Formats: sequence, structure tokens, C-alpha cells
Amino acid sequence: MSLQAAPLLPLSAAFAGGIVAASWVAPGPVAAIGLAAMLLALAAAALAGGLDRLAMVLLVFTVAALGLLRAASPHLPADHISRLTLGRGATIEGRLVEEPLRWAPDRTRLVLEVEAVREGFEHRSANGRIQVTVYGEMDPLAEGQRIALEPRLHPPTGFRNPDVFDYAAQLRRDGILLVGSARADRVTVLGADAPRWPVRVKRWAVATIGRWLPESSAALLAGLLLGERSALPREIDEAFRRAGVYHILAVSGFNIALLASSVFLSLSLLGVPRRLTAVVAGIVVVGFACVVGGQPSVLRATVMGLLLLLGVLLERESQLMNALALAGLALLVWNPTDAREPGFQLSFAATLGIVYLTPGATASLGAHGWPRWLAAAVAVSLGAQLAVMPVMLVHFNQLSIIGVAANLAVVPLAGAVTTIGMLALLVAAASEAAAGLLFEVLWLLLVGLRAVVWAAAAVPAAMIHVPAPTWGAVAAWYGVLALLPYVRALPWARGVAAGLLVLVSALSVWPWLKPHDGKLRVTFLDVGQGDAAFVEVPGGPRLLIDGGPGGARRFDVGERVLAPFLWNRAVTRLDVVGLSHDDLDHAGGLPAILRHFRIGEFWEGGRWHPGSEEVLAALARSRIPRRVLNEGERLWMGDALVRVLNPDGRTPASPNDDSLVLRLDWRGISLLLTGDLGWPGEARVLRSGAALRALVLKVGHHGSRFSSTEAFLGAVQARMAVISVGARNSFRHPTPEALARLEAAGARVYRTDRDGAVIVESDGVKLWVTRWARGTTDVFDLDGERPVDARP
Amino acid sequence: MAGAAWHARRTMLYTRPQLKLLLALAAIFLVGLAVREWRAGFPAAADRLERFDREDVPPATPLIARPPAPPPQPRADHGVAAQPPGAPSADPPLVVRVAKSPPPAAPLDLNSASADELARLPGVGLGLAQRILDERTRRGRFESPEALRHVLGLGPKKLAAIRDLVTVVDAP
Repeated sequence: MSLQAAPLLPLSAAFAGGIVAASWVAPGPVAAIGLAAMLLALAAAALAGGLDRLAMVLLVFTVAALGLLRAASPHLPADHISRLTLGRGATIEGRLVEEPLRWAPDRTRLVLEVEAVREGFEHRSANGRIQVTVYGEMDPLAEGQRIALEPRLHPPTGFRNPDVFDYAAQLRRDGILLVGSARADRVTVLGADAPRWPVRVKRWAVATIGRWLPESSAALLAGLLLGERSALPREIDEAFRRAGVYHILAVSGFNIALLASSVFLSLSLLGVPRRLTAVVAGIVVVGFACVVGGQPSVLRATVMGLLLLLGVLLERESQLMNALALAGLALLVWNPTDAREPGFQLSFAATLGIVYLTPGATASLGAHGWPRWLAAAVAVSLGAQLAVMPVMLVHFNQLSIIGVAANLAVVPLAGAVTTIGMLALLVAAASEAAAGLLFEVLWLLLVGLRAVVWAAAAVPAAMIHVPAPTWGAVAAWYGVLALLPYVRALPWARGVAAGLLVLVSALSVWPWLKPHDGKLRVTFLDVGQGDAAFVEVPGGPRLLIDGGPGGARRFDVGERVLAPFLWNRAVTRLDVVGLSHDDLDHAGGLPAILRHFRIGEFWEGGRWHPGSEEVLAALARSRIPRRVLNEGERLWMGDALVRVLNPDGRTPASPNDDSLVLRLDWRGISLLLTGDLGWPGEARVLRSGAALRALVLKVGHHGSRFSSTEAFLGAVQARMAVISVGARNSFRHPTPEALARLEAAGARVYRTDRDGAVIVESDGVKLWVTRWARGTTDVFDLDGERPVDARP
Repeated sequence: MAGAAWHARRTMLYTRPQLKLLLALAAIFLVGLAVREWRAGFPAAADRLERFDREDVPPATPLIARPPAPPPQPRADHGVAAQPPGAPSADPPLVVRVAKSPPPAAPLDLNSASADELARLPGVGLGLAQRILDERTRRGRFESPEALRHVLGLGPKKLAAIRDLVTVVDAP
């Protein structure tokens, strides 16, 4: 593999590098233009002076500067929705850009391309994208329809926790600068559902598949053929992830190559001339790309496929690497924010790995006496897996152990399913009866595919979760891969690669070996409206109290926030998972935690209410020992003592007043976790005569005015109070009444809606409280219990 | 090439690659026929196969009853000890089995229920029960349990919790 064969690769890489660099060095547009112009002038001078090599290097840097420029945030037009000041009651008209996502019968999420804004009699045009959640039952809507609604809009915030994916940044990448909510009775449909042909074809295909196949198999086939995964059951989705074969559920080069080669083969067999065949295959590929949509992996595969077909048309040999570089350049020029999309990175990394590593790997496996077909299959699987490994780790903390082996079995099966599936859809357009037989074959193959994936996922440690690697480790890993084809021939390459590999290993195992800093650390995570607190006791024990909101068909905080937070801390085992009470803003995220982590035991107050069946089922499935706690119990966690203050197990009480109330003591530091305890519960705890005085109080019920009574706060005398609450929640927590009482009691208030995650740390002498979203830390001396300084 | 030689004979209709494709298609349709016969003959087995990797549907019975409180037991594993560290204990893991409460009796008819009966629903107190009765008086009768949405203090969450416990009996 030499660079002469891929002249576009350095330019493409430089452009991508410029885009990525833009997030660290952000020069003003004038400075960036000046830099690019200067580099260009230097390159021209070098060329004129006969220094061709220098000119070439300067050209690459110029392109990098262009990437930097392209990535700079664009100027928003004056009529962009985020620049308009909208009064209440303003109506926004727009077109749905994707199919509405139904979280629940009365909750639907819409993404709207804004066209106009109406306020009173004033009607003006506007643009930009907004994402609106509609509450209430609504007539079905579809992509492409025009609607008008009255939303309340605000900039997205996301969940602000250490090392957790930034939802707001992802929305910004998708061009959504405002999100909001609206009531269903204020949504007006302006146009009938008259979608363009690709949408109609896709809907017809999904409906046809659903008519002929049972539910799970139909959902899987829709994923394989069309990348439509929304109906896929969670268990099957997770099995594909665990087995390391999730990529076949996204439309990629795999589908495009199978489609193009099927068309090519069948037309050649019919005796159609070669050039005409290439043209027809090109048209089919473009049509297919329109139907399945414009994800980066589809666009990449389409551009590369068309280039290969163009090669056939012009009777030239195509260079895969060059085609890949061109596809990358085209996509990034079109949409520079793609460079940070996991889908873009996975697609290009996998293709690069296959193109770059496969020839050498096939040759060396063949030299060891492997049969040619097996060597080629293993080499492709290995090349792709090695190249995507850092991307999977950075975004998903997933390290697939079984992936290379699983792909060997899964890819041929998936190939057969995809080919026959396309054929079945084609036949179904003509004759449903004949297609029925093909769908029977497909069902058999799909069940076989699921069986293989299920078996691979059931292997112990098929996939492990590890902390996201540092930039240094990622760079070193790609250095190793770049040197791989040369290690047999060049001794120095062998040495450097070995050195880098040692560096990668050292950087990767460091989080596991890092000694504990000996501090008690309690992290109140920003989970929106809900509770989740992670407690680390020096010496090892780790507790998670409550799991935030979550569950099927909604944003699962357990899966998307808590699990990555824990994985990035090299936590795979929790000694205790506690649940204050079974409301879904405390329990909803727990099923994901129960699935992903090894857990010592589960603490609960013992009462369950309708609505939390899913959590109970997950608990039963996980077979974790359960401990029902009652007032007066004392448990040691390492050096820390946990005392149970509520419930007493006798007094009938509302679910909130039945909350598990825990008090944790470690070296004179005391912490009171009150769940959603309301005033009757507080009165009961006061009557019980338990010691309440605590340094840090987790304020009851998100700061509701029916909690945190004066008497209770007076008994606790907390110096710091943490309110776990979501911004703009519909309950209007925290209430001014509760805040006033906390202030009167002399507590310093920290709120997850404003401060992001609140991290309380102590070594027994001092205590630090960090507001994660603000990046500030208050330091308290525990003798005086007042701040000694506040460092930024 | 053999294919060309065969093709040269007048009796040969297809080239070798064409034959391969046609045979493969015929085989696929044959397998399809066989699978269809089998699925029609053994629908239960086919359904089991289709659902082999799905998790069982969670039990529909909610647990409301509190289990008998276990006596506080010392434990030493999982880093959790009921005594200060250093005092080991070898009790087996304590698994608390939560008894399932019997399924609710017949659903409550919203149009004939009294305030007391309504207040026995989870999450419904006497105040809310009275507001439900007020709403019933205002409307005449509830057409469906979903109409409870209009009662102040009965949000979607609470409605979902009691949805299966209430009903509306058709007017006589």
C-alpha cells in the first residue's frame, strides 16, 4: 500500500484533522482565513522556487486550515429560529423531517424544519430546526407533513456528568439549537400525509415484511435490509451488540455491495452489455440510498460504489483507498460535524481497516497454511475489528472479544438474508404468493442468524466494558495498525510497533490499577428529574442509591448516563444497589444497571406499587439477593456505617413516605439520603428519635414544598443540601418554599438542574463540593464547617 | 471452456452460470415450500422457535404487600457487614422472597363506586376520591376510565397505576 495509489488520502486526512482540531484551537474566522492564505502563498512561492516537495507539504497544511475554517460554527441567518425572540403563544409552522418517535401513547417527539412563525396577525418566515416533545394523544403524523404548533422552547441542556456523552452537543451537531414541549391539542395539521417516493417505498417495504414474518424476525429483517431498527426488541438488539456484530444492522457497504453485485450478476447472466449493466447498477444503488436515508455509512458506501462502477464504465482499475478518501472528503465538506458522529467514524474506520490491513493479513495467514477462503474471511473480520476498536471504546466503552469469530459465521448468513430479502421485496412488488415462499426461507435464515448471535452473546465475557481510552492511547493504537503491514519486512517497524503496543496496554490498564485516593466520594448525578447517587467508600465498597428515570421507549438514564459514568471509572461491580422507593424517576434506570453490572445485593424498603412491574421483573431475572431494610438496621460498608431511618414497616404510608432513608457515617462525616420523603414521613422519623444531625442532606422529593419541613431541617442542621432535580420539570421543583426553608436553616444549596453533577468528597479533614457543570469547587474545613476558599 | 462447448450444442438452453442461478432459485423455493408446510403443521413449535431468544413477559401481578420483615442478620460478604469489619460471619446470602399479592378483585366500576372504594385505589386519597365524584356529577357519567384525566391531581402516571383496577360498566 503506497500513497501514490491514493493521492487523495493525505488531503482527506488533513481536512478531517483540521475539523477535529477546531474543537481545541478555535481561531477567529479572520485569523483562520489569514492562516490558510499565508500557507497557500508559501506553497505557491515554494512551487515557483522549484521546491515541489515543500509545496506538497504546505498544500496538505493548507487543506487542514480549510478544514479548521469549515468546522467553525456557521453564522446563523437573522431569521433563524434561535435568534428570534418569541412571545408566549407564538405559533411555529414547519415540516416534519423525520418520522415522529412515539415514546408512549401520550408522548411523541417531533423534529421540525421551521418555515414560519406567527404571532397574533404578524406572519414572518423563519428557519432552523427544533425538536419538540408533544404531550397528549395526537393523531398520527408522518415524515414530510406540515404542521403548526405552539411550543415552549429553550436551548437543550442534556445531562452534565463527568465522562458522559453530551446530549446537547449531539443535538447541536444535528442542527437542533432549540428543544421544547407542546400540548397535543395545540398541534394543527396543515398538510396531508403526501410523502416523497423514497419514504413511500420504505413504508411499503416495512409493511410487506411485517405482513409475512412474525414480529421479532420482521424487526430484524427491517434492520438488515433498511437499517430500520426502531421495532427491534431490546434483547435482540443487545445480543447483536454483545456479539460484536451490530454493524450488520446498519445499512453500509455490505448492503450496497451485495445489491450492486446482485444486479450486476443477474444482468450479465441475461446477456446485457457490461457498460449498460454498470449504469443500471449505479441507478439502483442511488435509488436504494434514497430509500434508506442519508446516514454517513450509506453515503460513504454509495460514493465508493459509484466510483467502482465508474471504473467499470471507463474500463479503468479503481483504487479502493482513493475512493474511500474521496468519499470522506465529500461527506466532510458537505457536513463537517459528521466527523464527530460515531456512525461516520465506525464506517470509515472499518473500511480503512479492511482496505489497509486485509491484504497483508491474508498473505500471512495463507503463509501459515490456512485455506485461502478462510484466511480472507478472517483477515477482513480482523481488519475491521482492530480498526473500529478505539471508536467503540470511546463512544460505547465496549470491547468485543468474540467479534472476530462471530463475524465469520454471521456475515455469510446476513449476506444470504440480505440478498434473498431484496429479492423477496422485488418479487413481492409483482406477486405476493411467490414472495411468500421466499419469506419462509428468510424466516428460517433469520432464526438461524438469531441463534448464532444469541450463542455468541451468551459466551462469558463476549463483550467487556472498559473505560474510554485517552487520546494518547487511541493515537498509539492507530500507529501500531499503520505499522502492521511492515513489521515482517522492516525491523525498525517491529520495534516501534512493539513499543507503541506496550504504551497502549499501559494506558489501558492504568484506570484499573490506579490506587484509590482514600477519599469518601458521593456523586449526585445529573439525571434530569429524578435521583441517582453513587457512593464510593475508601477501601472499596461502592453503592448506587436510585437509578434515575428510564425504561423502555424513553431516554434510559441507566443505559445512557449511569452505565457509561460507571464504566469510565473502571467500575464493573457494585456492592450495593439501593432503591429508595419504586417511583420511575428513581427506579426506571435500574433495569439497565441490573443487566450490565455484577451486584452484591439490592436494598429496598419492601413495598412495590403498580407501574414498576418492569423493574421487579428485571430484579427477579438478575437473581440478585434482596435485602428489605427496616428502621433501626445498621450495616457496615468498609469503614462506613449505614443506618436505616425509614420505613418502619408498620405505619401505612404513601409511597413517598415509605422511602428508604439512609444515614451514612464515615470519620465524622455524615450524610442523609432521604429519597422522596414527605412531611408525614419526616414527622415519623423525628418521632422515632433517631440521630438526624448530618453534614450533607440529600433534600427530600426534589425540593417539593411538602418535604423539608422546618422541624426536620432543624433536627438535621445540614451545612450542605443537595437537590436532585431536572431543569424545567413539570412539578415546578424545587419550590420557593422549600428553598426558603433550606436557606433559613443555614444550608448551602447545590442543585443538579443548575450545577450538573454535584460531587461531595472528603478525606476526613476537609470536604470538597464540586459543581460539575460550572467547574467550581467549594472547600470546607471540617473543624469550622465553613468554606476556607472557593477555587475555580 | 465447458460452458461454451455445451452452449454450442443445440439442445442446451442455458449457459452453465445461468443453470447454477436457476438451480439455486429452485432450491430456495423448495426450501420455502418445506418451511411453509412445517410451520403450518407445527405452529406451536414454530412459535417457540420464533420466540426462543425473547425474555418472558414480566409477571403482570404487582407486588403491593410488604413481606414479613426479616430479622436483622449479620453478613460479611459483598463488603457489607452488619458488624464492624474484622468480625466475620458465614451466614448464607439472604434472599428475600417477596410474596405476590393476589390479583385485584373485580375492577371497580367508576360510575357506581363510592368515595371510600375509590380511596382504596393506590395513590388515591379521600380528597382525590371526592374530586373524582365531583367530576362524575359534572359529566353525568364516565364514558371510559381515560376520562379520569380531567380530574385535577390525576396525572398520566397515577392513571396508568389504577388503569387496570377500574372499569366503566355500560349503562343499563
